[in-house]
Amino acid sequence: MKTRTWAILLGAVFLLLAALTALQFLSAAPAASAAVYADGALVRTVDLSVDATYRIESAEGWNELTVRGGQLAVTAASCPDGDCIRCGEKNANPPIVCLPNRVSIRFSEDGPVDGVVK
Amino acid sequence: MKKRLFFLLLSLALLLSGCRLLPEVNVATPAQSDTAIWAMDTRMELRLYGDSTGAVMTDLTGQINALDQALSVTSASSALTSLNETGRSEDVRIVSLVSAAQKISALTDGALDITLYPVSRAWGFTTQTYQIPETEALDALRELVGMDKITLGEESVCLAEGTKLDFGALAKGYAADLCRRRVEDAELSALLSLGGNIQTVGSKPDGSAWVIGVQDPDDMEHFALTLNITGSKAVVTSGDYQRYFMEDDVRYCHIIDPKTLAPVRGTLRSVTVIADSGLTADGLSTALFVMGRAAGEALWRQRGDFEAIWMEADGSVWVTPGLTVTPGERPVYTVAR
Repeated sequence: MKTRTWAILLGAVFLLLAALTALQFLSAAPAASAAVYADGALVRTVDLSVDATYRIESAEGWNELTVRGGQLAVTAASCPDGDCIRCGEKNANPPIVCLPNRVSIRFSEDGPVDGVVK
Repeated sequence: MKKRLFFLLLSLALLLSGCRLLPEVNVATPAQSDTAIWAMDTRMELRLYGDSTGAVMTDLTGQINALDQALSVTSASSALTSLNETGRSEDVRIVSLVSAAQKISALTDGALDITLYPVSRAWGFTTQTYQIPETEALDALRELVGMDKITLGEESVCLAEGTKLDFGALAKGYAADLCRRRVEDAELSALLSLGGNIQTVGSKPDGSAWVIGVQDPDDMEHFALTLNITGSKAVVTSGDYQRYFMEDDVRYCHIIDPKTLAPVRGTLRSVTVIADSGLTADGLSTALFVMGRAAGEALWRQRGDFEAIWMEADGSVWVTPGLTVTPGERPVYTVAR
């Protein structure tokens, strides 16, 4: 009787952990990097594993991006509506878009690059 | 026995779930400073690694801005405009650039030609008012075009009557070389992105290779491949997808073939050159785009002092074997030695 109780208990724990593991593998993996576009051109790729602040300038204005703990947020911007700031911290698509400044930030599972030749 | 099996499965489940739950460890990176400037009609991003980079960064932006002023083909007060108007210059930068252009032109059977400015203007590439010029108009310009219209002395450059130079195919490479020397003198590392030309200087602070994305000509938001670079290298691409116009479903790109005085019409979408010198990489990327892949491969086999990537219109990518690349979605083939 005692052995049976243990068996049921351990079986339940195993099933729970297996379900949790499956959920993690099935859910979208957090991005490793983000590509920042200004005026339609890729101007920077950002490594999400490094805490840092970046200032992105486009022909229409500027956006300040802050990376902290693997999450990226627009923390300040010159745009009038501030929609990009209200997107909050993110590490997966859909992209953060600042329409007035023509800046967009797309998340990627690919590793970041140091530069882009074009 | 059953108990052992349960504990084994339990351990396995914990291991599987635990490996995704561990927090990522951030590696401390050394000091890094970034500056972006607008020069030579393009955006330039300068990144320096190390402490006390302020003076070097000031020097770099100063050097680039000074070159921009000297080599502008549109500024009334530039050294280049003075040469184009008077037919003579003793500016040391212009003498260096003409000397380099002559060498690359000789290597590439005239595929690099810095006298094509009037032809580019006739096609509208200098003003973005694109047009297909009349054959007679191009024939008339032929009299003014050709590297043989330039006389290079030890400290001076003279042009034939009516000939005008444009250093658009070389100026960013020259700027990269100047910047590289300044950064090396200061014993710093740098990644310089000069309007799409990349110059790496020294080693990346974390010891890993510099990773450079090479633009996909058909998809501006993705790379055709990434390139691992060690140490100081210039990486420059010339292609038909940045500045061009379409007429009757024909693409007319800004790179002019000196033999036809018309935009290059080959099978290539882009050529990337990796070399020690920015000037060489810049000039060769234009020349190799004009020459086509077969002639470019032959030059690479003959010289061996540069590496290259050719992207064909059929989607294929051809790389020289000295490169370390990570392919994207396009098929990548290695050029035979």
